[in-house]
Amino acid sequence: MADQTPFPQLLNVQIDGVWHQFPKGTRVIEACEQAGSYVPRYCYHKKLTSPGNCRMCLIEMGFPRLGPDRKPELGTDGKPIINWIPRPQISCAQDVSEGMAVRTNSPLVKECQRGVMEFLLINHPLDCPICDQAGECRLQEFSVDYGDSKSRFLENKVKKPKNVQIGTRVTLDDERCILCSRCIRFCQEIAHDDVLGFVDRGSYTVLTAHAGKALENNYSLNTVDICPVGALTSTDFRFKMRVWFLKETKSICTSCATGCNTVIGSREDVIYRQTPRENDHVNSCWMCDYGRLNFKYLEAENRLLEPQIRFEGKLVPADWPTAIAQAALQLKQFAGSEIAIIASGRMTSEELWLTSQLVTSLGVQWIDIVPRRGHGDKILLSKDRNPNTNGTRLILGSKSEPGAKLIGIADAVRSGQIKALVILKENAMHLGLPVEQLAQLPGLIVMNTLPNDVTEKATVVLPACGFAEKRGSMINGKGRLQRLNRAVRPPGNARDDWEILHDLLQATGGGDSLSSVDDVFRRISETVPQFVGLTLSKLGDLGVHILAIEELPPMHPSDGEAIEEAIAIQARRRGVRPASA
Amino acid sequence: MDEAIARYPSDHRRSAAMPLLHLWQEHFGFVSEEALVWIAEKLCLQPINILELVTFYPMFRDKPAGRTHIRVCRTLSCAMAGGFELMENLFTTLGIQRPPAGDGMHNPIRISADGDYSVEFVECLASCGTAPVCMIGEQLYENVDVNLIAGLLRNQTSNIKHQTSPHLLERRLIFKNIGRPDWTTDIDCYLRDGGYEQLKQALTLSRADIVNKVKNSGLRGRGGAGFSCGLKWSFIKPDEKRPVYLICNADESEPGTFKDRYIIHEDPHQLLEGILISCYALNARTAYIYIRGEFPAGAKILGRAIEEARTHNFLGKNILGSGFDAEVYIHRGAGAYICGEETGLIESLEGKRGYPRIKPPYFPAVLGLYMCPTIVNNVETLCHIRHIIAMGGAEYARLGRPNNTGTRILCVSGDVQRPGYFEIEVGAVTMGQLIYEMAGGLRPGRKLKAVIPGGSSAKVLRADERFKLKQKQSDGSTIEREMSIDEIPMDFDSLTAAGSMAGSGGVIVLDDSRDMVWVLNNINKFYAHESCGQCTPCREGSLWMQKITDRMLRGGGVVEDPKALKTIGDNIAGRTICAFGEACAWPTQSFVEKFPEEFAARAKKPVPPPLPPEYTPEELIEKEEIPTVPMAHDPGWEKAGAKGTI
Ligand SMILES: Cc1cc2nc3c(=O)[nH]c(=O)nc-3n(C[C@H](O)[C@H](O)[C@H](O)COP(=O)(O)O)c2cc1C
Ligand code: SF4
Ligand code: SF4
Ligand code: SF4
Ligand code: FES
Ligand code: FES
Repeated sequence: MADQTPFPQLLNVQIDGVWHQFPKGTRVIEACEQAGSYVPRYCYHKKLTSPGNCRMCLIEMGFPRLGPDRKPELGTDGKPIINWIPRPQISCAQDVSEGMAVRTNSPLVKECQRGVMEFLLINHPLDCPICDQAGECRLQEFSVDYGDSKSRFLENKVKKPKNVQIGTRVTLDDERCILCSRCIRFCQEIAHDDVLGFVDRGSYTVLTAHAGKALENNYSLNTVDICPVGALTSTDFRFKMRVWFLKETKSICTSCATGCNTVIGSREDVIYRQTPRENDHVNSCWMCDYGRLNFKYLEAENRLLEPQIRFEGKLVPADWPTAIAQAALQLKQFAGSEIAIIASGRMTSEELWLTSQLVTSLGVQWIDIVPRRGHGDKILLSKDRNPNTNGTRLILGSKSEPGAKLIGIADAVRSGQIKALVILKENAMHLGLPVEQLAQLPGLIVMNTLPNDVTEKATVVLPACGFAEKRGSMINGKGRLQRLNRAVRPPGNARDDWEILHDLLQATGGGDSLSSVDDVFRRISETVPQFVGLTLSKLGDLGVHILAIEELPPMHPSDGEAIEEAIAIQARRRGVRPASA
Repeated sequence: MDEAIARYPSDHRRSAAMPLLHLWQEHFGFVSEEALVWIAEKLCLQPINILELVTFYPMFRDKPAGRTHIRVCRTLSCAMAGGFELMENLFTTLGIQRPPAGDGMHNPIRISADGDYSVEFVECLASCGTAPVCMIGEQLYENVDVNLIAGLLRNQTSNIKHQTSPHLLERRLIFKNIGRPDWTTDIDCYLRDGGYEQLKQALTLSRADIVNKVKNSGLRGRGGAGFSCGLKWSFIKPDEKRPVYLICNADESEPGTFKDRYIIHEDPHQLLEGILISCYALNARTAYIYIRGEFPAGAKILGRAIEEARTHNFLGKNILGSGFDAEVYIHRGAGAYICGEETGLIESLEGKRGYPRIKPPYFPAVLGLYMCPTIVNNVETLCHIRHIIAMGGAEYARLGRPNNTGTRILCVSGDVQRPGYFEIEVGAVTMGQLIYEMAGGLRPGRKLKAVIPGGSSAKVLRADERFKLKQKQSDGSTIEREMSIDEIPMDFDSLTAAGSMAGSGGVIVLDDSRDMVWVLNNINKFYAHESCGQCTPCREGSLWMQKITDRMLRGGGVVEDPKALKTIGDNIAGRTICAFGEACAWPTQSFVEKFPEEFAARAKKPVPPPLPPEYTPEELIEKEEIPTVPMAHDPGWEKAGAKGTI
């Protein structure tokens, strides 16, 4: 049967006079776009059901004329003769079929588009200069492309609510809403949280949420992305920046193991927003609000900006060579068995590889990462809140569960076996030890973006980069290797993590000189089989699948809970020890 | 309440939302916030899902009305007969404040200071033949004397007004017993008249036999579209695995149409028998009667008829030992005309807003109710099924004309002396006979100006127009004949050829006293109020057209208005999700086209200069430092002259 053939059946479709072939199941509107005849649309979204309500995608459609033998009659050119349906048809709700013909820019189609544009604009506030959507508004774009410039509407516009806080993160301006129902369908079909709906009727129809249940779900901001006009806006981003000033950088979200593909919008080294970027292997067209908004910390007041070293009991600023030298000096004092490294599942593969080199060169035996767990949903958000747990498995080569060795490290610190602790992009409080205990350590080397309780007690502080400030790769929960890209430069004297690690490695006498993060990746590809044949550039915008992973490791408590639990464990041990001794 | 839920498949509890809202409102007088939450929880829905319904269906209200609630019909036939005077007099007599002039979705409910009375304008109550009408509570009052409000409020008896004996030109099949003084809605009365014999007979036939009879009968739907009933039925596959549903469309809301209400109120068993035969023929084990909310009495009568039929085992399990099971349930609408459109009806029956579905892919016969094959037929259509069984398909097809078979009920309202219903053999009566002989002609001294021949959606015909009609002769040849309006035969094909349609059979007659701009404005208001608002052209265009005719009536018509009206209509018709698009565009297109002189006379002002953009919230304007431009969308602009400076 045709359905079972490995290759989808190809159908012949005539678009604007030219015959093309499309696989069975292609939407007419998509086929037209692929053939270079873009059909304007508002309500249609390829990831949502098609209600066909905006009527912007009307086209002319026809089918081959059948002869008495039920076979298409052929014209002089040997191609089927088309019987055109007199009425325009929407192209967003039908799939192509054999012999179908469409016209996307006939006079009738243009007339339809002009008509719909006029209808959409009569009750729409014509104040694009102050609308936040300006620059990415489909209404604005299409009215230029498909509409008339002159309005002949002489009546009062329908008044609707403005500035409605429809949820904590989303603001609604009903006067701008063109009632395309994309946001409603998104909530029903993707977020599984049926909170939006239309009330009233006809031209007075208004989008709203019930007073008792607002748009609070963790995916609410996707409605802002898909709203074709400026009706739904991000309360966070609203009026902060004109979109046309934004520099766009393709990257990934690092707030959980899903690794949603993103576009970071920034201007002059300030990030204004993150939006999802389509990747059907990872996140479709969506991302969660938690991940989307989780970039503010990069601009935190207390960002670590300068390298610091402990001098006469106090942390004092130092230049990079001094700080690196100091760190190397402290490490070289001790045997590998006296050093522990706490790395992070938030580090890139390149950083992890350099860390693994450090481990080898110093002969370190204790190394682990901090597991970071939260509740997951069945949508995108992963239980694993570390974006690169799989990278740590593959590159650090750890056999045990993430975090399994933390108790051992804590014990070793307390027993005095460990003399130097290197903490990379983590909070050592996860060890559950009192901060005073850590302060006793002769070497407490911290590399991070933000300070924490332990940073104060460090012997060396190495200010590093956040996810949007660097380039590198991570392996998501499903085994896909994806690339982060630098959207903004790090503040102050903070440096790219890989450079810090690379310099530290060299200063401790290991490794050789590498000139870019791409070089590091190349080294990985020489040693880690799954990376063979790849380069950072080859990962492309959508990444490459390198691991066959279905299941995620078992559930762990969240960050805060984990710290508390670790403290409790350590407290118990302290309590138990003397008794058993 | 649980009984209401049990009427629907267990995985479609949502369907019970409207029944529960009705029950709640009957009990508490209005649908409170608490009701929304309670009903949502009961049906495993979100409160927004219920709020969406309450705000869509005008019969549901979120605030209490007066102890006696009066609904006055605002639509054309009633308006012509004094509906607005009736409302005025109610305001005065009951001391109710008139609503402020304003723009809004529903006609507001106004309540007297003491809370005893409230009044509300509603759209056509399907009783246009006895205009003006109003409903006091659940009771319909017909031929209301607008000057005798006190009497109206005291008078406790109002029944459906009857016509005396059938006119000579009539051929009564469906309406045989309507209006008969000795006729009741009891099953015994129906049985004495040979009732349910056709059901018994049908149960002995094969399903294919019945479908063939219906095909041979040539029966065309009486709901409006005139689609072949047999063809529609044949879309249901005989070996269909999914459940098949039959829906009886008893939403009768097309202005000018009032035939189904008589069947429902006076001959419910005839309808039920038609439904049960159809269920059997389609192998549909469940039928829903979607009855408009404004027929509360009708719903009760049908409910009783169902119970009576059950006691006789005409429905339920193993009907008359045939092994066939069928259940018939009543589902009440709540004041939305669009729920007469079959896919809007299906959505409504599923407990949602009555948003029509796109076709393709949602053809009811393929993906209908609960995404199962569904046949939707009009009340009158289903009654005909019984007569087709009685007469045989071929015999039935001898009634009427080729391709226009059987009888149909025409409803005449407006400016005639004897408005009412007339059942004729399709095409056996001309427009002239209908108006002058059957409906008693125009009032003394009045001349015919125009006729809307098939419900208010049909294109208007002008009295002095000449029509070129191709007519099929009995020998099969066709001849083209030019004729006057009076000569047009009242059948599907002739009215289509005349540029309009037979539609739902509602004939609205307009005499020479009528201002066509006013008439169109009344119709525009109906459609602007009833547009479901789902698709752009209809949602925006219907209100726009109304606002233009509003302005023309206020004296602010500009020269471009007739053209604007026409092109708005052009931009709606054929470009919408459902046929409501045509329904709201056709009146405008045809009125403007056929009465250009009247529209031009009301559109004399010059077109104002382009309006500056309208800036919105002050604070945003300040923030963005954009100069505030004065609001120019003031209806008073025309006073300012062509320069447009206010
Ligand atoms: C806007 C609109 C309103 C309609 N209202 C009704 C109605 O009130 N009653 C009805 O029977 N059909 C109505 N129809 C027609 C139905 O969609 C459908 O065609 C009909 O119920 C099919 O039954 P029939 O084939 O027996 O006529 C309406 C159609 C439209 C487009
Ligand atoms: S708010 Fe935006 S997405 Fe939602 S219905 Fe309105 S226009 Fe469409
Ligand atoms: S699901 Fe995960 S990766 Fe995706 S946006 Fe949310 S936190 Fe980021
Ligand atoms: S045509 Fe009108 S009534 Fe029909 S779906 Fe569109 S908006 Fe609703
Ligand atoms: S995109 Fe097709 S109708 Fe909206
Ligand atoms: S009942 Fe009033 S117009 Fe139909």
